[in-house]
Amino acid sequence: MHNHTPRQGQERFVAPTVSSELPALHVDTSHPPENQWKQAWKALRQNWIFWFSASLLVIILFVVLFPNLLTSVDPRTADLSNSLGKPQAGHIFGFDRQGYDVFSRTIHGARASVIIGFLTTIIVTIIGLFTGAMAGFFGGWLDTIVSRGADIFFAIPLLLAAIVGLSALNNVWPDRGYWGGVFAVIIALAVFGWPQITRIARGAVLEIKHLEFVDAARSLGASKWRNLFTHIIPNALPPVIVTATVSLGVYIVAEATLSFLGIGLPPSVVSWGNDIAAAQPQVRSGDNLHVLFFPAGALAITVLSFMLLGDAVRDALDPKARK
Amino acid sequence: MWRYIVRRLLQTIPVILGATLLIYALVFLQPGDPIVALFGEKPVSDAVRAELEAQYNLDQPFLIQWLLFLKGALVGDFGVSYSGQPVSELIGRTLPVTFQLAFMAMIIEAILGVIAGFYAGMRRGKIFDSTMLVVSLIVIAIPIFVLGFGLQLIFGVQLQWVPPTVGSNTSFTNLILPAVVLGLVSFAYVLRLTRTSVIENLTADHVRTARAHGVSDGLVNRRHVLRNSLIPVVTFLGADLGTLMAGAVVTEGIFNINGIGNLAYQAILRGENPTVVSVVTVMVLIYVVASLLVDLLYAALDPRIRYA
Amino acid sequence: MQTKRTFKYVAALSVGALALTACGGGDDNGGDTADGEMVINAHGIEPQNPLVPTNTNEVGGGHIVDAIFAGLVSYNTDGSTEMEVAESIESEDNVTWTVTLNDGWTFSDDSPVTANSFVDAWNYGADPDNAQLSAYFFNAIEGANEEGNIEDGSDTLSGLEVIDDLTFEVTLKEPAADFPDRLGYSAYFPLPEVAFEDMEAFGEQPISNGPYVLDEWNHDVDAKLSTNPDYEGNRTPENDGLTFTFYTDPDAGYTDVQSGVLDIMDQVPPSAIETFQDDENIEAHTEDGSVNATVTIPSSLDHFGEDEEGQLRRAAVSKAIDRESITSTIFDGTRTPSTDFSSPLMPDYSEDIPGADVLEFDAEEAQDLWAQAEEIAPFEGTLELSYNSDGAGNKEWVEAVTNQIRENLEIEVEPNPFATFAEFRELITNREIDTAFRTGWQPDYPSVYNYIAPVFGSGAGANDGDYSNEDFDAALVSAASADDEETRTEALTEAQAILMEDLPAIPLWNQDALAIAAQGVEGVQLNWQNQPEYHLVTK
Repeated sequence: MHNHTPRQGQERFVAPTVSSELPALHVDTSHPPENQWKQAWKALRQNWIFWFSASLLVIILFVVLFPNLLTSVDPRTADLSNSLGKPQAGHIFGFDRQGYDVFSRTIHGARASVIIGFLTTIIVTIIGLFTGAMAGFFGGWLDTIVSRGADIFFAIPLLLAAIVGLSALNNVWPDRGYWGGVFAVIIALAVFGWPQITRIARGAVLEIKHLEFVDAARSLGASKWRNLFTHIIPNALPPVIVTATVSLGVYIVAEATLSFLGIGLPPSVVSWGNDIAAAQPQVRSGDNLHVLFFPAGALAITVLSFMLLGDAVRDALDPKARK
Repeated sequence: MWRYIVRRLLQTIPVILGATLLIYALVFLQPGDPIVALFGEKPVSDAVRAELEAQYNLDQPFLIQWLLFLKGALVGDFGVSYSGQPVSELIGRTLPVTFQLAFMAMIIEAILGVIAGFYAGMRRGKIFDSTMLVVSLIVIAIPIFVLGFGLQLIFGVQLQWVPPTVGSNTSFTNLILPAVVLGLVSFAYVLRLTRTSVIENLTADHVRTARAHGVSDGLVNRRHVLRNSLIPVVTFLGADLGTLMAGAVVTEGIFNINGIGNLAYQAILRGENPTVVSVVTVMVLIYVVASLLVDLLYAALDPRIRYA
Repeated sequence: MQTKRTFKYVAALSVGALALTACGGGDDNGGDTADGEMVINAHGIEPQNPLVPTNTNEVGGGHIVDAIFAGLVSYNTDGSTEMEVAESIESEDNVTWTVTLNDGWTFSDDSPVTANSFVDAWNYGADPDNAQLSAYFFNAIEGANEEGNIEDGSDTLSGLEVIDDLTFEVTLKEPAADFPDRLGYSAYFPLPEVAFEDMEAFGEQPISNGPYVLDEWNHDVDAKLSTNPDYEGNRTPENDGLTFTFYTDPDAGYTDVQSGVLDIMDQVPPSAIETFQDDENIEAHTEDGSVNATVTIPSSLDHFGEDEEGQLRRAAVSKAIDRESITSTIFDGTRTPSTDFSSPLMPDYSEDIPGADVLEFDAEEAQDLWAQAEEIAPFEGTLELSYNSDGAGNKEWVEAVTNQIRENLEIEVEPNPFATFAEFRELITNREIDTAFRTGWQPDYPSVYNYIAPVFGSGAGANDGDYSNEDFDAALVSAASADDEETRTEALTEAQAILMEDLPAIPLWNQDALAIAAQGVEGVQLNWQNQPEYHLVTK
């Protein structure tokens, strides 16, 4: 067993699985999973980065759930006579070009961004975990189909794929409204995002499927399926969780980029991406930068929180890095 | 080794077929009638419509359209865009520019990322390490278009060190700022990857053995730690070529560069489906080839990996 | 040149709500050449199509085609028409027109410009096999169908007949007193014989008869034009040549005008809209413009039919929009609120059209009108306003307009974006759109008639809202057959008064004509099409 275990058997993928910093993640496979989770939690508790990012995320979650406790201004009420107004009493972030209150927009914008990040990650993780685990565990033609399928979706650049995918969705699913708009973005990102998790899950499963405790369970007469769900998948979880936490941030940025390109969320959805995109003339001219600063800052802090959490979780799950 | 290469090449075939089919299907589902778009608000007669549909195989069933596209693509003929320009010419004009940009971005991210990551890893927990970690996280957390506009504003418009936009003059100095912007996110990943890899290798058995045998620290660091840490970095960089090509969509737009990313984006907006399909196909090809090279390179770098 | 509809969309793209555009912002090819020739370096956009006049319907190719070709007539800066290659265009009945050419015109390969040069070019443009984008412009000619293509079973337009080398006859389907005024558009330009041998090659390197000839077309970089020594038409160049340097990002162009690399640019990037008039590094030119923006509420929409309820609601929506505040904040004063359905630039524009006060903002009256409509039948649901988000600034103003209507009428109003113009137009063309939508018009030739007849006439080509009103149609007929200006203007005013009442489209504002020039550049004049007269520019 060498340091780069996740690469084992990986040559079956056309593309390298190393698309994040994960190969450096060492999965501790010497123990059954329960033990590992306990150890990880212990490590997490001692890491200030974990507490820092977790508290930020709690605050963000609060903002997402209860925006009206923080601001009473309707984010969609606009008065053009306030256009580009500077921060002032009662409107601490000022106004944007449409005359919207930037503070209210920033607070209410959290919902779309965070929901898109969360749901996309959950969908991608579920699909990726199961396809990857099945492919790694059963091997054979199933593995071939899953691996090639993942390759196909992975080979098309995510951003271009999402743009084309979203406008195809427009065609088959017009008149979507608020939630429709949000889910369309989630679908477009998820359809092209799952292969990453699939690869990592598959690699992890391949690595552990012949380990002692798994063999032991098998010799005790556990069925194949039971084995997959009780031993294999829980053990493949750590690297998947780490990737998922990091990619949550990536999906939030992806939504903003799509909105910036004019193809993400409709204007009726208050979102950071839309507001950053609307601030573009300000970025170009360098005037009234407050219009850009607050939504972009909120987005950056949120993404940063997830990234930090991912870092902390990885450190906790990787005993080697702890030493 | 040869058997492995042949097998890998064979594996790419279904991937290329599948990816083109997928993108073709998505483009097929695109809303908007390309012929209506071509004529703007002027009406189109049925005869002209039939003529154009025949010319672009739009009168064929979906699968036939795809096969006809493949047939042409096999010999490098991507057909003609709706506006009458051969798509291979469009790609031929734009691809070298993007290659140049992506190559520069890659050099920048590799050199800076490895150096910063190496020192951060060697001084784990120190000020430099923490600073680099924070910097890398911030770079990842801020959308690339915000970073791009910001740097353009500072260095292009205010300080005027470089031209704010590139245009047709794709000289080294003109491309340097866009290359930095394009490479920024990957720089953060390279840095973090190198750092973790270095930390891991510092505690690896062979490194400890070497130290125990009295090999000097500097030599150990260079020969064992750095070399071994580079393996995952190299594979990352190979896979990153595809990411850079796609990232060019945004970066090329900000800096007004005539590259393939911009071509793709404009084509999507204009409903130029032949161009969209062809550009994505080329990107998929580049990605698949880069991946293959990376795997071979990996085999060459890491003697522990042997391919049956 | 006229309705460059696709052009508008493309130009809009490059002004870019996204500024995500690519292209060749050159920074070297400066103005003066070594031997002291005065070559004007102008902002251009890479043509989307080969430079065949009947196949050029966007601004990038339009600039070049207009500069290198001369048609039967040419337009003056103010929009008046003057004979150019034609010596006369005459008709007794406004149906059969006899065109007589001036002798002595040649193409740049020294071949003569003859009646066949026009007739063959027009037949080529109308031939469905050639699928030319501007075929529509031949639809008035006998033998062409509604879309301007040659009717089935024929190879040529039956309404075109060559009499001799310098004379041909055009027969129209129905009388059109303004037919000669249309003939300055690029679709009607002549082609030399050599073009028909290999149109593809010709489109790359056209041979032409205009004020300039095309020397080089470097794709994505520039097009170099030099003066045509044999040209003796109306548009004598004041400079020695034009270079159109291609940009897709207008910001790059703006920067180049500031530094004097670029002499003239026919647009202003959104980022500079606030500041360009005070920018000391450039000369700013703004004038009233001819392109207008409107909102069409199709009569098929529930509660917006052609009845009293529909009229009340349309008027309410119109009066709920504060055009002044939108043009001054969202557009930084580069739009002027509409006072009619056309533009003040038109020679037959009228200032006082009865009922035009419906275009003035009055929240109270708007609410009152809406309440009256509610009494007829209550409105439920959401009023949506569709637009294409790839067009510059559309999202911004649509959002502002919907915000105002929502606020002032207290109803649900939402913007409804479509990612691409293609998608947006397809739904409109197929009548599959079930919302209000943005529309706009750029005139094909300078007349109020051209703003309203093709757009609101029953069954007309661009009547996207399917408006139909007999009185209006009758007023159009009397305008088209009027013998003198006064009767004509009167009829047009009457027609517009009907439109003010019915509001098949709600006029919003006119886009000002903007241009910027480098210091020391002179002779910048914006014509009725909002374009600089490039041949008059000097430095």
